Amino acid sequence: MDLAEKLEILADSAKYDVACTSSGVDRPGRRGQLGSCSAPGICHAFTPDGRCVSLLKVLYSNACSYDCSYCVNRRSNPRPRATFTPRELAELTIGFYRRNYIEGLFLSSAVLGSPDATMERMIEALRILRQEYRFNGYIHAKAIPGADPLLIERLGLLADRLSVNIELPSETSLNRLAPDKAKAAILRPMRQIARQSAASRRELAVYRHASAFAPAGQSTQMIIGATPESDLHILRLTESLYQKYALKRVFYSAYLPVVPDPRLHALTTPPPLLREHRLYQADWLLRYYDFSAAELLSDEQPNFDPYLDPKCNWALRHPEFFPVEVNAAPLAALLRVPGVGPKSARRIVAARRSQRLGMAELKRIGVVLKRAQYFITCSGRAPALRAPRQEVAAALVDPRAFGVGVQQLSLDDFRAVPLPDAAPQLQRLAAAGVDARTAARETRQEAIECLTRRM
Amino acid sequence: MSYPAHVSNVSYCYDGSFRGFLCCIYESYARRELPAAVQPPEEGQVSLFGCREIPTSADRARRVAAGLRRLGGGVQGCLTSGFLADEPGKDLTLLRFARVCFENGPATVQMLGRAEVAEALALARRVDNESSKYIEFLRFEQRGEMLGAIIHPRHRILPLLRGHFCSRLPDEDFMIFDATHRMALLRRDRQVHYLRMQRYDPAPDAEEEDWQALWKRFFHALTIEERRNEACQRTHAPRRYWRDMCEMQGQKSATQPPQDVI
Repeated sequence: MDLAEKLEILADSAKYDVACTSSGVDRPGRRGQLGSCSAPGICHAFTPDGRCVSLLKVLYSNACSYDCSYCVNRRSNPRPRATFTPRELAELTIGFYRRNYIEGLFLSSAVLGSPDATMERMIEALRILRQEYRFNGYIHAKAIPGADPLLIERLGLLADRLSVNIELPSETSLNRLAPDKAKAAILRPMRQIARQSAASRRELAVYRHASAFAPAGQSTQMIIGATPESDLHILRLTESLYQKYALKRVFYSAYLPVVPDPRLHALTTPPPLLREHRLYQADWLLRYYDFSAAELLSDEQPNFDPYLDPKCNWALRHPEFFPVEVNAAPLAALLRVPGVGPKSARRIVAARRSQRLGMAELKRIGVVLKRAQYFITCSGRAPALRAPRQEVAAALVDPRAFGVGVQQLSLDDFRAVPLPDAAPQLQRLAAAGVDARTAARETRQEAIECLTRRM
Repeated sequence: MSYPAHVSNVSYCYDGSFRGFLCCIYESYARRELPAAVQPPEEGQVSLFGCREIPTSADRARRVAAGLRRLGGGVQGCLTSGFLADEPGKDLTLLRFARVCFENGPATVQMLGRAEVAEALALARRVDNESSKYIEFLRFEQRGEMLGAIIHPRHRILPLLRGHFCSRLPDEDFMIFDATHRMALLRRDRQVHYLRMQRYDPAPDAEEEDWQALWKRFFHALTIEERRNEACQRTHAPRRYWRDMCEMQGQKSATQPPQDVI
């Protein structure tokens, strides 16, 4: 098998892994080595599905001895199998890196025989890359659950970021769909990585040349929509992962049926992309806006509204918090205004030191007022105080839920279709034969009326 | 401190260098006036206003530069990035910004509510954003002992790419050719030179084509068809960058690069 074919098979097997970030560590280049790292991360290309390519994301091998029912690489799924050699992988990484195609390597693997044997091979590949090829760029490595703690330690000393996939949001689902994996076996390496990473940071603060263990921290991912957990359950889990294991990121992956299985959805089910998007929005609210899971969802409303982003939803349920005075409110309060993000909020705080802010100044600062104007006052004046409820509702509903694109059927035949991340209601109407634009208009109207009644 | 100035109807013509621009700032203070326009030589000299030639003097430029240094990194960064912009009227925007800065001190960069400041910062941000896009999307090709890349930026961003690529490839020689402005950044033996160049048309050899084919194959293998969302792709990688990205060549919607350029 030639290298190109191998690369194609192993990239195709790895593509369902969502994490592809090169962020979290700042490391300038050094003479005698190749590469540098920049803390915000760098994306090098975007595939037609809109996801970024930052790292050479491949599996070391896809010949798996496990049989998890949601996974393409399960033992019982007939598909071509391939395994890299450490040299091939290193040369590929260096060749791509020098040409500015990638920021580094993302190495994961199917379980080759046993977790320990797999990890040993991965470590050997990374060692060759770091020590023989003097590679100083970013490496994200996946720890295989069930591997020996000593192997995880060696992996962490070579990689910038480690991750252990939690796969499914609850233990019952895990038992049902991935009988070879256990929750405890997943959480054990996570705990070890969190502990050693923190210890290494402390050592580095004292002694500059201490060895860095996973300096960019760890991340995890879980599959959304394959099992019946609610958004509240998932968000609580996310929150506790951030708090207990100091994770840098939790990734969600909308479940995409790739193998037929009686315990799972039919192969034709579209992935729940809008739900995934809402969860990411909530994830951002947890990390950058100081929200908690309990504020965003409750047992009465355990799932996100498909038509309204989580922050708007919170704002509508808490009218007592508004309006917020832009010239006086603390940063934390500004961050809770729908439509105002961390950048705008910080700019407002900086700008109001030198002058009073009115609507014109806010526009100049770059604050997007479409939604924010209903929730703020400028020096006591509310820009849209007496706006009719219908108008407010129309400004607040998320246009993404009603997205319609164009599909080209032949040279001069175009058809409107709902975008893949539009609301499920719209997808259903379009599937039933309603024209996509009409369906989008009707769904939007319905959502606005429903929202007007709620306000 | 406040420096009164009247709005005059004269336009400043300078030689297009940064020093020349600093001399325009000097002139504006010396004459206590705000010019109606500031024109580098490449902008047409047709103007409604009387034109005054501003001679470039190293001494005056040094005095203004020393003043700017006192205003801190934020102000200097905005002026230097903004100066790399290739947009008509950028010089006047920056001159007005510099005047506001001298009046209000280093905190001016935070006075986003003022029109002059917001305009200048937006200008600098456009340049910085483009340079960070090219840090992502630029593609090198191996040319003998050297790496080479061709880009088509709107602004003169080569100086902003320098730091990143010198740090990323510490032991490599490379060249980045800006085909829009016919300038090149050459790094050889750890020395960086900026060159004026008319053309740079390397032809990839067989080995390089193999690498590109490998990369394209990897890129296509990564796409998940069920999630296809080309609008999202274009948001992150706007079409104007596609001609410099080898994996986007031959894509259905890629605009074909004009044959005469490069």
